[in-house]
Amino acid sequence: MGGPARKGGVRELEFEEFYRGGRDACLRAVLAGTGDRALAEDLVAEAFTRAWLAWPKVRGHPAPYGWVVRTALNVRVSWWRRRRREVAWDDAHEVADAPAAERDLDPVLLAALRRLPRRQREVIAFRVFLDLDTAATAAALGIAPGTVTAHLSRAVATLRGHFVNDGNVEVGP
Amino acid sequence: MSDHDAVLDGLRESLGGVAMRTPVEEIVATGRARRRRRWVGGAAGVAAAAGLAVAVANVGGPPSGAAGEVHVHAAAFTVDSGADGTVRATWDKQAYFTDHAGLQAALRRAGFPVLIKVGRFCKGPRDDGTLNRAGIGKGVSRVMTGVRGADDKVTFVFTPSAMPAGKQLFIGYLTPAQRAANPRLGSVERLVPTGAPLTCTTEPPS
Repeated sequence: MGGPARKGGVRELEFEEFYRGGRDACLRAVLAGTGDRALAEDLVAEAFTRAWLAWPKVRGHPAPYGWVVRTALNVRVSWWRRRRREVAWDDAHEVADAPAAERDLDPVLLAALRRLPRRQREVIAFRVFLDLDTAATAAALGIAPGTVTAHLSRAVATLRGHFVNDGNVEVGP
Repeated sequence: MSDHDAVLDGLRESLGGVAMRTPVEEIVATGRARRRRRWVGGAAGVAAAAGLAVAVANVGGPPSGAAGEVHVHAAAFTVDSGADGTVRATWDKQAYFTDHAGLQAALRRAGFPVLIKVGRFCKGPRDDGTLNRAGIGKGVSRVMTGVRGADDKVTFVFTPSAMPAGKQLFIGYLTPAQRAANPRLGSVERLVPTGAPLTCTTEPPS
């Protein structure tokens, strides 16, 4: 009787550690992929719920946080397909009130991220916010490593004006 | 530092303060509830395949497990269970005042825990009251979406399996007088606990 309970307890502890260790990085990655703070929170919560349900598979994955972010972004695609004719009341998530620590999220930057092509946003999510290398990002997205590099270069070129002015680097809003 | 690295560092820095607010307990509880529902659905399917009569209870309050298939077409609303586990509902904006209790009961019978009030706005004990501009709270978009059809009619899609354990959807409609004072808001939706006292007010969120 003690076996299964202990096994379940270990599983819970492993998952909790996994969640606490990577939830914020996953959120930032999905936020970069969506440009929408509240939507990103919901998507990451949903993806971690699916990770809990598939924990034996996810814990053995070579890039488990990549699995979470990939799942979150895939959920977004399916939600978007289901909601592409959605009504106005559900359109205003990004303006939800936020804790003080997040109130300085730069709306111009979020808008710039939203304007990037989907693949470029996904490459930023994996390469920049999950810190995966080019090969792992390519594997996660199912594209060639050279394509990852090209997408990242294009995204950087587009966002460069937001961070670099007259030779001076500007960090943050 | 190259421009390339400066942009990437700037991106990291800009989103560096963003943190998840969903506690791990909520993730695990939602996972457990979803696994339980899958197990109940699977057991019902096996029993039906064996030719057994399976009685699925229609419960009056928030469901604790399986729910019945519901197809209600009333004057003020329609509620239909879908084969994919979602529940689709439409309602007449002019008529929901007349039978919001009926809508609530039909949604609950279909397995979607919901609390509907008119002119009163409730929240749970640890809810800081945060809503977006449209009056929608955190997590609502996981359980309820609105889809406008070609005929311009809105269908609401509810996903019972996505509801966190111990939570239900609260819908608070503004009365005509409240709407006149708050023209941008028609209703408030937020997730509230099922087993805890709620704090309610007649003052619509500003």
